[in-house]
Amino acid sequence: MSDRYARTPDETMPARVAALQVRGRFLTVLALRVDPQALDGRLYAQLDDQLSKTPQFFSGAPVVLDLGNALQPGDADPLRELVENLRRRELRVFGVQNAAGLDADALQSLGLIAVSTGRDAPMPRAAGPSRAAEKPRPVQNKVIRSTVRSGQMIVAEQGDLTVIGSVASGAELVAAGNIHVYGTLRGRAMAGAHGDEDAHIFCQSLNAELVAIAGLYQTSEAIEDAARNRCTHIYLEDEKLRMEVIA
Amino acid sequence: MTTEAKENPPLGRVIVITSGKGGVGKTTSAAAISAGLAKQGFRTVVIDFDVGLRNLDMIMGCERRVVFDFINVIQGDAKLKQALIKDKRLDTLSILPTSQTRDKDALTKEGVEKILAELKAEFDYIVCDSPAGIERGAQMAMYFADEAVVVTNPEVSSVRDSDRVLGLLSSQTKRAETVGAEPIKAQVLLTRHDQARIDSGEMMTVEDVLEILAVPLLGIIPESKAILRASNVGTPVVLDGPSAAAQAYEDAVARLTGSEVEMRIAGERRPGLFQRLFGRAS
Repeated sequence: MSDRYARTPDETMPARVAALQVRGRFLTVLALRVDPQALDGRLYAQLDDQLSKTPQFFSGAPVVLDLGNALQPGDADPLRELVENLRRRELRVFGVQNAAGLDADALQSLGLIAVSTGRDAPMPRAAGPSRAAEKPRPVQNKVIRSTVRSGQMIVAEQGDLTVIGSVASGAELVAAGNIHVYGTLRGRAMAGAHGDEDAHIFCQSLNAELVAIAGLYQTSEAIEDAARNRCTHIYLEDEKLRMEVIA
Repeated sequence: MTTEAKENPPLGRVIVITSGKGGVGKTTSAAAISAGLAKQGFRTVVIDFDVGLRNLDMIMGCERRVVFDFINVIQGDAKLKQALIKDKRLDTLSILPTSQTRDKDALTKEGVEKILAELKAEFDYIVCDSPAGIERGAQMAMYFADEAVVVTNPEVSSVRDSDRVLGLLSSQTKRAETVGAEPIKAQVLLTRHDQARIDSGEMMTVEDVLEILAVPLLGIIPESKAILRASNVGTPVVLDGPSAAAQAYEDAVARLTGSEVEMRIAGERRPGLFQRLFGRAS
């Protein structure tokens, strides 16, 4: 063995493969919010009902329990019962969140870890049955009365975006609703940014780098010649972007 | 040369010469515009903001006279008076060279502001020659500006970069950040204009450029050997004998100071009847 290897800790092996590699990993887990005050038959009946509807979705899925900060330090027993019941149903419970009341030992004895959620408040409870929960967001439209320059990004988070002027190549418009450009659109325009498939894009002259509605996009190359440099209305139809020359 | 220094209190206008893209003629234009202003009798100083790539002093022909520089003054190693170099051809013109050994991080907002305040008390026009790019050097050059000359070549990448710079001028400058302040007056100076290449479709037309940039046109400088020659001998082109380019810069300077000068494309041959008829086919 030459001197060059003198510093290698394990001298019997000329080349060493690390027995250990550290890799970051993101994992998607299901968070199950339960009301610890209702650990009775009702919970399990509802759970079984849910499981029978979508068995594949839950089978073997890693699960974190969201306890809504409602358990007291002495409440290890109901938690143990809950965890055992869930594991019997093939839910791989491995952690708890919003469990501020429980001490680390109690969690460890159940084989659980405390998962920090970024905010230590319980998940917002789904208010009432089904769709009543979706409150319409207040619409906030935005009007820009100047040219949008290359490198600028204008976002209308909750409504329509209207630009009175041109949009330069390299500029970006994003709107939850429709986009109107009273000028030449040379940059990018993304309407229906939150998935609204009924959003439209209107421009006086279409020369865009990219147009998108609800995530469906077309780049400059794909823009039909008929619409190029014309006053155009862009909308979604049958999951396809349609470009209609208005004038 | 008639250069009567104006005896009124100094105007103290800060003009930034900027572009985003490199090689479009910022330094040449800064030299020509500042010399043009000085020639008209305005007390003018031109500052090189391109720290680390000192060029302006060479174009101005004073590279052998640099002792202290802009950065020395910012850091308090020298007085402003020691760093200012008086031009030998025009007594109304001064040059504030930059450092070749430092980098742009040596520029501080406070330092630049303090120097500009001192210069405003003495000069009518303070011309800031911006480095290329949109990083610190360029930001510092434009931050305190009252007016901007955006140097653009009639070519797509230059136009796009100029557009980006115009966006920064209207958002990342002192005037933009001060509520109620008048925005920076930005004008585009089209350089390296070559009618033959425009006609053959190799370059963008003046109309196309102005349509995209949507700011007033300060002037059109023709592509000219006179500019290269002037740079090589260290003379601003307006001081280097008559040429189409010199005339174009003088016109631009006149417009900058508020005169109405008809826009003419120097060196352009009048198009014949046929060309005029068929050149408008589109």
